[in-house]
Amino acid sequence: MRRNVLKGLVASILAVTVQGAAGPVFAQDAAAFYEGEKITWIVPYKPGGGYDEYARLIAPFLERYTHARVEIENMPGAGGMRGANEIFNAPNDGLTIGIINGSAMVTNELSEIEGAAYRVADYNFLGRVVADSRVLVVPTTSPYYSLADILASESPVKIGATGLGGSTYVDAVLVGSAFGLNQQVIHGFGSSSDVRQALLRGDIDAMWGSLGSALSGVAAGDNRVIVHGGMEMLENFQDVESLFSYVEQAADPVHSQMILDAWSALNAVGRPVAAPPGVPQDRVEFLAEAFRNVMQDPEFIAAAEEAGRSLSYIDGAAMAAIASASTDLTPELKELFVAAIRGEL
Amino acid sequence: MTIIEGLVSGFFQSISLSVLPYLGLGAIFGLIIGVIPGLSGHFAMAMAISFLYTMEPGAGIAFLLGAHSTVAQGGGLTAILFSTPGTGQNAATLLDGPPMRDKGLAGIAVGAAMASCFLGATFGAVALALLLPVLRSVVLFFGPPEIFMLAMLALTFVAVLGKEDITRSLIAALLGLLMAMVGVDNVTNQQRFTFESSNLADGISLVPVVLGLFAVAEMIELWVNGGSLAGKNTRALSARETQKQIFRGIGLAFKHWWLVLRCSAIGTIMGLIPGLGSAPASFVAYGHAKQTSKNKESFGKGNVEGVIAAEAANDAVEGGALASTLAFGIPGSSSMAILLSGLFILGLETGPQMLNNHVDIIFIMIFTIIIGNLIGTVVGMFLVNPLSRATSIRASIMVPVILTIIVTGAYASDRSLFDIGIALVFGGIGYLMKILNYSRAALLIGFVLGFAVEKNLYLALLIDGPLFFMTPIPLGLGILTIGFLAYNVIGISREKKGK
Repeated sequence: MRRNVLKGLVASILAVTVQGAAGPVFAQDAAAFYEGEKITWIVPYKPGGGYDEYARLIAPFLERYTHARVEIENMPGAGGMRGANEIFNAPNDGLTIGIINGSAMVTNELSEIEGAAYRVADYNFLGRVVADSRVLVVPTTSPYYSLADILASESPVKIGATGLGGSTYVDAVLVGSAFGLNQQVIHGFGSSSDVRQALLRGDIDAMWGSLGSALSGVAAGDNRVIVHGGMEMLENFQDVESLFSYVEQAADPVHSQMILDAWSALNAVGRPVAAPPGVPQDRVEFLAEAFRNVMQDPEFIAAAEEAGRSLSYIDGAAMAAIASASTDLTPELKELFVAAIRGEL
Repeated sequence: MTIIEGLVSGFFQSISLSVLPYLGLGAIFGLIIGVIPGLSGHFAMAMAISFLYTMEPGAGIAFLLGAHSTVAQGGGLTAILFSTPGTGQNAATLLDGPPMRDKGLAGIAVGAAMASCFLGATFGAVALALLLPVLRSVVLFFGPPEIFMLAMLALTFVAVLGKEDITRSLIAALLGLLMAMVGVDNVTNQQRFTFESSNLADGISLVPVVLGLFAVAEMIELWVNGGSLAGKNTRALSARETQKQIFRGIGLAFKHWWLVLRCSAIGTIMGLIPGLGSAPASFVAYGHAKQTSKNKESFGKGNVEGVIAAEAANDAVEGGALASTLAFGIPGSSSMAILLSGLFILGLETGPQMLNNHVDIIFIMIFTIIIGNLIGTVVGMFLVNPLSRATSIRASIMVPVILTIIVTGAYASDRSLFDIGIALVFGGIGYLMKILNYSRAALLIGFVLGFAVEKNLYLALLIDGPLFFMTPIPLGLGILTIGFLAYNVIGISREKKGK
């Protein structure tokens, strides 16, 4: 047993030295460069959960298309910011990439939260894995069937959320302010799992969440989706209305439309795969091409479907455009977003 | 599929050749991970999950859960033999395990621990099976008011743990509560005690604290005192003697069946509650054992009941912890989050779909816990001899080797260099606490429960208002807590008068 541990030690010491010693980068044929190399793929959350699962689904296929070894490293901390920092500040040799929580990193950057050592727009994006639609979920026993019911509610609707600045929270307060909803946001739950449990117990009336995580509750007959935040119809729930169809009913439709537009731009950032800035262009292109091949590989698509993970791939260039648009807000909107994130709304 | 059909099918699948080898492999893997200080069940599963993609559902789930279910067993071995908790769950085992080793009874302690683990795990698994028809209502039973009150009740066990010196215990417990407050507050986003360091923004992690308080502190003491872990018994136990002791230990666990049963029940219930985790469960069980024992004085000095209580509880947690994951697909801990991912990877859905259509998978899990722990017990018995031989190695060799493992373990769980620093700092604190007779267990309980107490108090106030405790269950729990405290305070003041 001790020998195993020692082996592990030696391996980790070696890994550290190798990472530290990756010195100047010489331009060479990118494909030849990656042949047999080790790509470190950073996941900014603990094992278990969506980000980790996507990474582990993608890794073997990425190995196939790059001929490199892909090693997943979980770097949890600061709500995904530690991993995002790590990727951004990794050596720019193209051997460190990772998946990031794009939307959360944008909100962190906008609110100038301490410890954000990255600029979302400056990453070298390889593409986007998925951007979840945000949906409002209620228990099946709830009296609310649409946003109209919530708008008409006389007592405040209790909406559960995790911490300030978390996506469940930001969704609730932004939509609340866009429509002037009569709501009480109950935040402070440890995780979105906690919020789901409170929803089942009836402690809260509704919660915002990603479509992906809502699916299982709906399939189980526990939950109902009553409204979604996308502009297009939801594939799985064709009779669920979009928030955008309510804009005309808002007190100030222009203002509401503006908030919703910025909010959906934020949600569109989704979960991108990124390399640090400064990686030689040919390597970024090579990795982006390999990533595109993975996302279009029928075998990969089937594997993702089987694991219940939806995909909405866009390429690196489109991703970069979305990322820079999401951080480029009018001062008025920026103020609103920052207030929402800081819990001042 | 009815429950009975599921049970029969699950059982035959578990012992079939397409599942059992994976189960055994997982169990042994988990045991080894458990033996290594700092590597937890969470880590074992995270490693195991990469292998799932090519596995059949039954085999995959047996492998994954097998690896998780034996970790506490391995950790108990390390705790008793090396005074170093293999995982956080084994911290309570340190109170009576190492003193038994010092008396030359290591074999008995290990035997009792192994058997209690197996019995506790079996209890938890059977409880889960019995609860299946009502699983969903059981899980929804615990809301913020109930969890807050239960955590308060668990906190009062601090009083029992350090009855000899209640002032020092309270100081330690309050220090633990204070430590739990470090980090960005989840509710207000205020930085608390972070000294503007981003490393402290997420709070202090449990693994390096446990490693520091107990493992590093023991190493410092060993270094200072010199000699070896085996202490005055310079003559290592012979293999035959150890075997004999192990069987006596196993016998003792069965002899204390009533204690095992009660402590397993404590473990299972605490496992049901999301966010409490297994470390407090074993301390509460230990406190309960001490409270109800005829010779309270011998606790902490090598009473086998202390070992039995802690180890039975920390494995019984498993069955309870599975409940919310299976009933709703809502993971109660980070380990369960990995299990859930594993289920997704294997193409299995949780919640009613699983309860209705895949009861056999649930029973594979239940039998995995039972069979896995049985395998762990048997393999663990073979590990005792070589490991106990190592306890007579000189401190000057032993300390550097174990410290290296501890440092690796502290780093490995979150890949954070900062956590190594935490482990070393708490090593110093733990050593000082030990020589000044402050209860490290009290500090750990305060630390683990502090977060749950605060979060659930806040949520209970928001959801149910200031009178949230006026519903039957929280009220009952509150009265129980006050009664328990009063009983202890009266007991202490009487003892003082007696002196």
